[in-house]
Amino acid sequence: MGTSMFQLPDELILTALTQTFLCREPQIRALGTLLYPGAAPCRNLVIHGTEATGKSAITAALLARLAAQTDDDEVGVRYAIVNSVECITSRHLYETVVGKVAGALEWEAAPPRCETVSQLTVELCKMLKYTPRPDGFRFVLVLDAIDRQRDAPHTLLPALARLSEIIPSLTTVFVVTAPSPNFLRTSFVPHVHFPTYTKPEFVSILSTSPPASLPNTSREETTDLWARFTAAIHDSLARAASRTLPTFRHACTALWPRFTAPIHAGTHTAREFSKLLIAARVHFQDETLLDPGVLVAITNPAPNPTISTTTTTTTTIQKPNPGADLASLLPTIPRLLLLAAYLASHNAARHDLVLFSTHHHGRRRRGGRGLSVGGARGAGPGRSKHRKIARKLLGAHAFVLERMLAIFAAVRGEWDPRGRGDDHGGEGDADIGMAIATLASLRLLVKVGGGVGGDVMDCGGKWRVNVGWEVIRGLGRSVGVEVEEWLIE
Amino acid sequence: MAEVESSTAAFEEDDHRVAYIFNAGQSPSQSQLQVVQTAATAATARPAKRRKVAKTTTIDAPKQQQAVVSGPAFPPLFNGAERPDAVQLRQDLFATAWPVLEARVQHVLRDANRTTLDEVAAFLQQAAAAETGKLTAGFIITGPNIASQDLLFEQLAERLGTADQATFVRLRASEAPNLKATWLKMIRDAMAKEGGEDGRKYLDYDLEALRVFLAQQQQRPPRVVVAFQDSEALDSGLLTDLMTLFHSWHDRIRFDVLFGIATSVELFQARLLKSTARQLYGAQFDVVQADSVLERVIKSAVAGTQAALRIGPSLLRSLVERQRDQVAGIQVFVSSLKYAYMCHFYANPLSVLLAGDGRLDSGLVQPEHFEAVRTLDSFKAQAEAAVEARQLNHAQSLIEDDQYLVGLILEQEQKRREYQTQLLRSLHILAAAGLSPSSFVELYMVALASGIDLSQASGTVPAEDAVRRLNPDEFLSLIDRVLKAIHAGSPELGLDAWESDADEFVAALADTRDEVEGLMARAKRNRTSLKSRYSAQSRVLRTTVVSQKVQLSRDTATLTAEDTAFTAAVDTLTALLAQNLHCDPVGRLFLHEAWVYDAKSPYRDVFVPRPAATVARALSRPHDYLACACCSQAAGGGLAATLPPTAILYQLYREAGALVNVADLWSAYYALVGGDDDESDVGLGERAALVCFYRALAELRLMGFVKQSKRKADHVAKLKWL
Repeated sequence: MGTSMFQLPDELILTALTQTFLCREPQIRALGTLLYPGAAPCRNLVIHGTEATGKSAITAALLARLAAQTDDDEVGVRYAIVNSVECITSRHLYETVVGKVAGALEWEAAPPRCETVSQLTVELCKMLKYTPRPDGFRFVLVLDAIDRQRDAPHTLLPALARLSEIIPSLTTVFVVTAPSPNFLRTSFVPHVHFPTYTKPEFVSILSTSPPASLPNTSREETTDLWARFTAAIHDSLARAASRTLPTFRHACTALWPRFTAPIHAGTHTAREFSKLLIAARVHFQDETLLDPGVLVAITNPAPNPTISTTTTTTTTIQKPNPGADLASLLPTIPRLLLLAAYLASHNAARHDLVLFSTHHHGRRRRGGRGLSVGGARGAGPGRSKHRKIARKLLGAHAFVLERMLAIFAAVRGEWDPRGRGDDHGGEGDADIGMAIATLASLRLLVKVGGGVGGDVMDCGGKWRVNVGWEVIRGLGRSVGVEVEEWLIE
Repeated sequence: MAEVESSTAAFEEDDHRVAYIFNAGQSPSQSQLQVVQTAATAATARPAKRRKVAKTTTIDAPKQQQAVVSGPAFPPLFNGAERPDAVQLRQDLFATAWPVLEARVQHVLRDANRTTLDEVAAFLQQAAAAETGKLTAGFIITGPNIASQDLLFEQLAERLGTADQATFVRLRASEAPNLKATWLKMIRDAMAKEGGEDGRKYLDYDLEALRVFLAQQQQRPPRVVVAFQDSEALDSGLLTDLMTLFHSWHDRIRFDVLFGIATSVELFQARLLKSTARQLYGAQFDVVQADSVLERVIKSAVAGTQAALRIGPSLLRSLVERQRDQVAGIQVFVSSLKYAYMCHFYANPLSVLLAGDGRLDSGLVQPEHFEAVRTLDSFKAQAEAAVEARQLNHAQSLIEDDQYLVGLILEQEQKRREYQTQLLRSLHILAAAGLSPSSFVELYMVALASGIDLSQASGTVPAEDAVRRLNPDEFLSLIDRVLKAIHAGSPELGLDAWESDADEFVAALADTRDEVEGLMARAKRNRTSLKSRYSAQSRVLRTTVVSQKVQLSRDTATLTAEDTAFTAAVDTLTALLAQNLHCDPVGRLFLHEAWVYDAKSPYRDVFVPRPAATVARALSRPHDYLACACCSQAAGGGLAATLPPTAILYQLYREAGALVNVADLWSAYYALVGGDDDESDVGLGERAALVCFYRALAELRLMGFVKQSKRKADHVAKLKWL
């Protein structure tokens, strides 16, 4: 070995890999060439491509096999893979790199502290450059998702690219999503691109794992149907909703039981693809099925009965009215406070007197339509000019806490069924404060502006309601208030 | 310091009704506490029950030295005349009564979480077995009360830590402001058991350290449960980062996350990225509703036989309403209960009468006790009732004969127990039979406040109609339920089965049941349905056609003999129930003040303080607090030059608009306090007035009433509108 100048890695490795990772043969071969010490090892290598295109998995698999193959050869390849997403500071990254490299080289001494990139260089030099290694030895350092490193100094990437200039036997591989031109600030870095899969590629990948045979259907027919089904899914959903392989696979497995329901029922056979398609057309247009919920989806096939019991019990509360849900959780006073906060956020302060005072009119004039603001505007000539967006469609405005408390005090007597005849109608007592604090800690009421981190006791700060119209309407109805009547556009 | 001591001894008995004014300007040799008694409180006689808490009584005059040595922490009442053993007895009573209840409450609370715990543990195990490759997430809907979640998470930690051998880490949002701090806290908590590690040194926030540590602990695979108690307060971005990282580490350390959610999972999910949500394998768990927990706590700790002290109906109602209206968790309820116990035994000398079992003998009762008893409302009612019933001897001995009174007092213990048993048994039967639509708590409060009376027209728990409307099957099942309630008792309430006590009632019920069963069998044989006079349509409109004329006639529906018998049975049952399920309102009992605590005001003062209202009142009516002679004409709330400058400014401030011109404020102030040129000895000079004005304005700003306005120069903005 080592006699010829150029030698590709063992063909067996590459074929095995191309069979594991379908439709990625050119990339695998390119990587093999660029990483194998006998072929054309390079100093820096950029692997880029969008999410879920097999960059990290293929790199890791290839390196593992190369290392295994060259283990008994004199042409040694060692490698370390660092996932920089897991490193929460750049110092963490350096120490992880040193730790992993030391682990890969079976370095005895405990890795020391490593705070800067120059210390990193020193440590790596110690291990890779000044320690005698056999000819043709290469160390591959893979920095996965290095473009998403937290707290990275802007010199991090160029500095890491310089490592291989200082240490000749090092290959640094940068796995990134979309490299900007010249982001390593060095010339001639080979890039390997992992493009997204095309439709035939998607279909052929999914064809390797066909589902279990359907009733009254042969194995080939099922596989055939599966292939046509995945193609149809790709046409209808992949472009809009599920562009990556995992989401595509999820979409296929989620829709497959619904699609094949007529076959299970015996109304159609597996050969009648178009009829099946028409029968399941609704599902193909519906993207809600693909929406990932944090709760275990009810469509998940349950592997055993115990799971199915838990999943069904836990997912029955899938789509309740959010307002009603909140209403059942909050006690009365916080509910009223939240409503008052919504009114304070969505009514202009100049309307407060009209809405909340009973001074001039025996009955309050309220309600957006009743007040005929729009009517007066409509009569004027500038209606088309002054067309406004309804305030409730705009975002919530900030308000002063005192204003909300004043609104609360004004409406409480009317909203609270038990009135304020009792002695504990006092404004500003500790219960009200506690309710506000609770709402704030639930992020239903948020403090905005400069005083966010500042003094919590400062009543000059501004607040904003953080729940939407639907929730508020439900909440209002739970205490018997039509919030609409209290809004002026 | 002898002078100081004697002076404290002189007024220490009154210190609950005074205001202290710390006057640093006086010479230090004098006592620095000047006591001002308000005229109102000085005039009233000392109330029998002292509810305000006196603070410093352990520094005591020599005559109480003995009490201090023997060590009761409670102060002697009756102006210090209470005997030390009575004081000690009160303290002992509290010390024995409360822990029993507390243990019961804790038991109820822990028990309430049990199902949730089981579900969570089962879910985590099932998710571990399912190998989804996702991050297992449990969402525990706990309701908005964050404080009450502590117990749940504590129990979770115990449960998962011991049963599943998982490392449990609890995080609050305040402990997790960013990623680094979160990791730091998590790793520290998880590795708390062992400090020294050898070999490689890791960064404080390196999860690799945790992995190595867990691998050393022989955990296969390493497993960590991270619980976020208040997930709403977590930053959304941080949340996403955390989930991504947990998932990324999933192949090395198995992280399971638990979220305490106050609102809903939907709102939680709306804050997550879709790509993050895809990584979660979640399930939702509900804890027991706060209402039912409250009911169980009340049943076992307030209503149950174990409760030494009865919480009166109005206090209980305000506690229950606070639970429903405000964000006050069950913990607040429990501490309110404890506070009621403390107040009662601390400040009511008659609470010694609660001691039964021979610990209360006539030697313990001293003349002041009789005096106190004779001021009670229930004593007066008793005496007046005796007079009206022409039992003049009885009335006279009540008022004059102390020994007679002692006998009566000692009798009351037995009567109290009887009342309590009767009340609880009636309530238990009512609740078990489902005769009233209201909940147990509601029934209990009604029964205490106005007694139990089943009659339809005037009763407090109108249930007669409900009994009468029953059809035979329901009738039988009602009797069965009542019998079962008597037979089983109620462990929750601490009621044993009382069949032996109520054998007449039970026998009568059983007779009625047998009779109705016989009637039903007979009716079945005759192929008619059994009905009573109340359930049958009593009047029927009958149509007859006689020679092409329609005649309408009202007829009383005929009741068969069985029906009449059934009607009689229904009447019997109604009468039986009305006779057996009754009790008086608690306020009508003689000497109930000794064992019922029903005062709302100290509870509200302590648990629901109103700082804003208090400050506003002090500023608008300073005379009430200062009681100085100079301001007496302004006592009604008007303005006077002699008021403190801050109070004057506060009055002016309340009359001003949203923006206050400081120059106007000053001129108004100076016009009030300033002296005219003619009479320069009255009022302040301009410079002195200006100093006062500045100081007052600064105080207003300090208290948050005004702030510098940016909109207009020389104006301050009004911050308080209410």
